Amino acid sequence: MYWALFIYLSVFFVFIYFYLRDKEAYDLKFSIKTNFDEENNNWQVRITGEVDLFNSGDMKTELLSLLKQKEADIFIDCSDLEYIDSTALGALVAVLKNAKEHEHDIYLKKVRPNIEKLFRITNLNGAFKIEGDVHGD
Amino acid sequence: MATKRKINSKIDSISYQNQDNKNDEEREVIILTLPMNAAYISAARLTSSSIANRLGFGIEEVEDIKTAVSEACTFVIDKFSQLTQKPFVLKFEPDKDNLSVFLEVEGMVDFERFKNETGILMMKALMTEVRVTSTLSKFKMILRKEHSEFSV
Repeated sequence: MYWALFIYLSVFFVFIYFYLRDKEAYDLKFSIKTNFDEENNNWQVRITGEVDLFNSGDMKTELLSLLKQKEADIFIDCSDLEYIDSTALGALVAVLKNAKEHEHDIYLKKVRPNIEKLFRITNLNGAFKIEGDVHGD
Repeated sequence: MATKRKINSKIDSISYQNQDNKNDEEREVIILTLPMNAAYISAARLTSSSIANRLGFGIEEVEDIKTAVSEACTFVIDKFSQLTQKPFVLKFEPDKDNLSVFLEVEGMVDFERFKNETGILMMKALMTEVRVTSTLSKFKMILRKEHSEFSV
């Protein structure tokens, strides 16, 4: 009797795990995940989806709140960042300005070529520390 | 894959050559009316990249068109949403060797004040031509991208 219950529950949790994992993988909407890396003393941020006028304010508020919580370098993983517009670039510059005041930097990792091009044409590629493209080159 | 794209673009170019003989009423035009709400800029991006892809533009050019159209919508929503809540119109007009995107909105702003904003500079860098005409009642932005195969 207990064994049957245990098996039912196991199957249920495995199903929930895969459901949530796939939902996250296919969710193309904007999301931002943050985590403080105690070992290296920096913020690890992962931005997913498209950032434009609609949600660039959310991104700015979230990143500025990180610096308020703890002043440290911010590492942004851009491998799932599909699109960024001028308002989002402006938001990143505002956060960078705040970080630089406390002698910290923003590092952008695994930037896709289309986004890297936008940083290049706006001459912002020098301001941010851009490390490697999405293929890890 | 490459050959297929070449054939497709050849067929497209023939169809657009034929289209040149058509008068304005017969010309293929795609019109998209969007509300003055930033939530729908992604719809403009999806539509523009789909149309540009259909016309045989390369991946990078499709990205350029998508970004420029998105920036144009952002500009309009950012500057006009306080003046009017009326929807704005995006008109895509494919031609033999280029794609023109017309953006029309009711109202007036002093464009000279904003011409050095990042979004406008990005549009100018990504498109072949960016023109703005503004009257007392209507603001019009024209973005044109030439097909790289035909561009000099």
